[in-house]
Amino acid sequence: MNGFTPELLDRCISCGFCLPACPTYALTKDETSSPRGRITLMRALEEGTLPGNDLRLQEESSFCLGCRACETVCPAGVQYGALLEEWRDRQWQGTRRPLIVWLLMSAVNSPWRVRLLGLFRRHARTRPSPSGPHLMLGCFERALYPEVSRAARRLHPELAAPAAQGCCGALHAHNGDSARGRQMAAELGERLPGTIVTTSGGCAAHLADVLGRDRVKEISEYSTGEDLPETGARIALQDSCHLRNGLGVWREPRALLERMGEYVELPSAGSCCGAAGSYALVRPRDSARILDAKLDEIEAAGIDYLAVVNPGCHRQLEQGLRRRKSSVRVVHLAELAAGAVRPADR
Amino acid sequence: MKTVSRGEPMDATVLRELRAIVGADHVRHADGDVAAYARDATPLFSARPGAVVHPGSTEEVSAVLKLAGARSVPVVPRGAGSNLCAATVPLSGGIVLVLTRLDRILEISADELLAVCQPGVTTAELSGAVAAHGLLYAPDPGSRTVATIGGTIATCAGGLRGLKYGVTRNYVLGLQAVLATGEVVRTGGRLWKDVAGYDLTRLLTGSEGTLGVITEATVALTPAPEASGTGLAYFATLADAGRAVARIIGSGLLPATLEFLDARCIDAVESYARLGLRTDAGALLLFGDDGDASPVGRHLARMAELCLVEGALDATVAGAAAESEALLAARRCALPALSRLGSVTILEDASVPRPRIAEMVDRIDAIAGRHDLTIATFGHAGDGNLHPTCIVDAGDTDATERAHHAFGDIFRTAMELGGTITGEHGVGAAKLPYLTERLGAGQMALLRRIKAAFDPAGILNPGKLGS
Ligand SMILES: Cc1cc2nc3c(=O)[nH]c(=O)nc-3n(C[C@H](O)[C@H](O)[C@H](O)COP(=O)(O)OP(=O)(O)OC[C@H]3O[C@@H](n4cnc5c(N)ncnc54)[C@H](O)[C@@H]3O)c2cc1C
Ligand code: SF4
Ligand code: SF4
Repeated sequence: MNGFTPELLDRCISCGFCLPACPTYALTKDETSSPRGRITLMRALEEGTLPGNDLRLQEESSFCLGCRACETVCPAGVQYGALLEEWRDRQWQGTRRPLIVWLLMSAVNSPWRVRLLGLFRRHARTRPSPSGPHLMLGCFERALYPEVSRAARRLHPELAAPAAQGCCGALHAHNGDSARGRQMAAELGERLPGTIVTTSGGCAAHLADVLGRDRVKEISEYSTGEDLPETGARIALQDSCHLRNGLGVWREPRALLERMGEYVELPSAGSCCGAAGSYALVRPRDSARILDAKLDEIEAAGIDYLAVVNPGCHRQLEQGLRRRKSSVRVVHLAELAAGAVRPADR
Repeated sequence: MKTVSRGEPMDATVLRELRAIVGADHVRHADGDVAAYARDATPLFSARPGAVVHPGSTEEVSAVLKLAGARSVPVVPRGAGSNLCAATVPLSGGIVLVLTRLDRILEISADELLAVCQPGVTTAELSGAVAAHGLLYAPDPGSRTVATIGGTIATCAGGLRGLKYGVTRNYVLGLQAVLATGEVVRTGGRLWKDVAGYDLTRLLTGSEGTLGVITEATVALTPAPEASGTGLAYFATLADAGRAVARIIGSGLLPATLEFLDARCIDAVESYARLGLRTDAGALLLFGDDGDASPVGRHLARMAELCLVEGALDATVAGAAAESEALLAARRCALPALSRLGSVTILEDASVPRPRIAEMVDRIDAIAGRHDLTIATFGHAGDGNLHPTCIVDAGDTDATERAHHAFGDIFRTAMELGGTITGEHGVGAAKLPYLTERLGAGQMALLRRIKAAFDPAGILNPGKLGS
C-alpha cells in the first residue's frame, strides 16, 4: 500500500488558515472535519498512530467534499486535492469504496461503456479531427445534458466531437484509484489530439493536471470574441470548485455572463454546492445540508437563470430548485451563450 | 521539546455525564475523534485529549466545569487552535472544550460604539459585520480570518496596527466568563469608565484559558477610517531602518502600519513570489496610515521623506488601493515564503524596546550563525515586536534541538535588552520554561496565588500560565 508523498504532507504548517474556507467545517465547527484536522489524520495514518480501519479516519475521507476551497487560502501552498487522492487511494480499497461509486466507476471505465451512456441521447457528434480542437463530451454530461455539447458546437463549429473518446478519469482519481484516473486522462488525450475544450470544470482540472495546462480549455476560457446574445435577464453563476480552486478560472465565466444580461454575484457563488462529483449520491444528506443555504440565497436573489459550468452542479441545483418549485432556471453557460435558451423558457 | 502522548482514556461515568450535559453528538472520545485536537498551530507539541466537548451555551460550559472540578479532570478551552505557543495542547490529557459552536454576534451598537458577541466568532467575521455599520474593530492579528474572539482575548492578541491602535486588551469592555468552579461571572460591562473593583476584565484578557472560560465579550469599536494608504522603503541595513522608524515617530506621526522584513525574508519572499523586491537591500520597511484622506496622503509623503533622510535606498508611496495591496503582499508573503524553505517552520515572538530592534536582529543573526541555523526575522517595527522564524526539516532532530537552544538564547537576549519573551503569541506550554526568568520568583508565586483564587482545583489548562 502506498504512503503519502512526504513533500505533500510536510508542506502543511498547521496554521489553521483553511478552517474558515471549508464547507464541512462550517457545518460542524469541528476541527476533525476541517482541512487541517484531516491532514492531522493523514499524518496519524502515515505515522501509524491511527490504524487504517479507524472509523473516523474512514468517515472523514468520505465527508470531505474534495472541493479544494482550502487550497486557495493556504499560505503554505498545500496541495490538498493531491493529498485527498492519495488518502482515498489508501482508504477506499475493495469493499471500503462506497458501492454507488464503484458502480459509477465501472460505468465509465472504458470508451465503449461511455458511448453506451450517450447512445440514445442527442449529444453533439462529429468525426474526429487529426489535429483538434476537440470538444470533450464527458461521460455523464452526454447522458444527462446532451444539449450542452450541441450548444458548445453551435458556439464553436470548429470543434470536433467524436463519440468514442472515453471518460477523463476524474471520477477514478477522486475515488481511490488515481493511477487509473491518470491513465484514462492520458488515453483521452491521445484519442483527442490538439486542444481539448470541455464544458465541465471538474474534467478540465483533472485533464489539465495530467495532460498539462495548455492542452485544456474550459469553455468560458475558450470563448472570448464571440457575438453573444443579449438575454435581458438577471443571471447568476455557480462556480465549479475545481475550475475555480484548481485552475483559477472564475473571472472568465463572469465576463461572458456580464455581456449576456444583468450579472448577479451570489454571496456563495464560489463555494461548493454539495454535488462534488459523486458526493451527492454517496452522502445525500450532507450534500443537501450544503445545498440548502445556497438555495435560500438563489431564491432571494430574484434571478431568472443560474448558469453552471459543470454537469454535477447542473444536476444538483436543478433538482434542488425543482424540489422548491422555484422559477429560476439552471442552464449551462454554453447554452446561454449559444442562444439555445428561448425567452419562453424563462 | 517534543511532547507526544496518546492521552488517557476518559472515565466512562464522566463521559456519560458529559453526554447528559451537552448531548451525545457533542462529546467525542475515540482515538480518531480526538487526534486532531492533539495540537494547534505550534510545531513540535502534541498530546491527545481524553475527550473533546463542544458546548452550545454558557450553562453547558458551567455544568461541564462543575463536573470536571468534582472529578479533577483537566479542561483546556480552545477556539480555532491557531495559537503559536502550544496553549491548547492538552499536556495533561482531559477535556478539550471547544467554543466554536458559540458563534453568534449578539449586538452591534453604533451609538455606543460597541459589539457583543460569543467567543467562537472569528475576528474577521466581527470586523466584517461592524464594517457594514461604518465601524472598525481594531485588533488585527495576521490570523484574523481564523482566530476567534475568545482566543484573541485569552491571548491578548496583537497585530499589524499595535502602535496606533493598541492591542486586544484596549478593546475589551466586559466579559462573561465561567470560572473553574462553574461560577458564571460578568466583569466590566458597556462602560468606557468603570473602576469599581479590581480590573478582572484585564486579568482574564491574556489569561490563556487558565482562569476562566470566556463565553461572551463586549468589545469597543471606533468609527472606520475614511481612507488608508501604504508606502515602502528599502534600506542598506536594518540599523538605518531603525533610525527611520525613530525619526518618523519622533516627528509626531503615529503610523497605523510599520512593518519590517530583514534581508533573509526579502530573499525568501522574492524567490517565492517574484514581486520585484530589491534583494540588494538589507531591510524593507512598510509604512502606512489611515484616517481622513487628505492627512493620510500628507503623512505618507512625510514618512517617505523621513526614510530618505535616514538614508533609505528608495522610498515609494502607493498611489492606488491596488498598489497598496501589492506592497502589503511583501509582508503577507513572509510566512508562506519562509515555510517553503523546510518542513518545520518555528515562528517565534519576542519584543524589545523600539530603539533596540536593529541591535536585536543583529544579535539574532549571530545566534543563528552560532547554532548553524537559518533564522529570518520580520515583525512590527512600530512596537518592537519581532518574529524570528527558524526553518528546519522534520526528520532533523539535531537541528530541532539546536533551534531550541537558539530560541533560549534569543529570549534571554531580548530580556537583556529590556524586552520580553513574547509580545503577542503568549506563553502557553512553549514559553513557560522562560517565564520565571522574565517575571522572577516573586511574581511567579503571585501568579500562582491568583490562579488558585480562580481555579482552586487547578483543572483549567494545567501546565500553562500559573502552573
Ligand atoms: C500564521 C499566523 C499568524 C498569526 N498572527 C498573529 C498576530 O499577528 N498577532 C497575534 O497576536 N497572534 C497571531 N497569531 C497567533 C494566534 O492566531 C492568536 O494567538 C489567536 O489569538 C488565537 O486565537 P484562537 O481562536 O485560535 O485561540 P486558540 O489557539 O484556540 O487558543 C488560544 C488560547 O486561548 C484560550 N482560549 C481560547 N478560547 C477561549 C475562551 N473562549 N475562553 C478562555 N480561553 C480561551 C486557549 O485555552 C489558549 O490558551 C498568528 C497565528 C498564525 C498561525
Ligand atoms: S492553511 Fe494550509 S498550511 Fe495552514 S493548516 Fe491549512 S493546509 Fe495546513
Ligand atoms: S476539499 Fe473542501 S471539504 Fe475537503 S477539506 Fe478542503 S475545503 Fe474542506
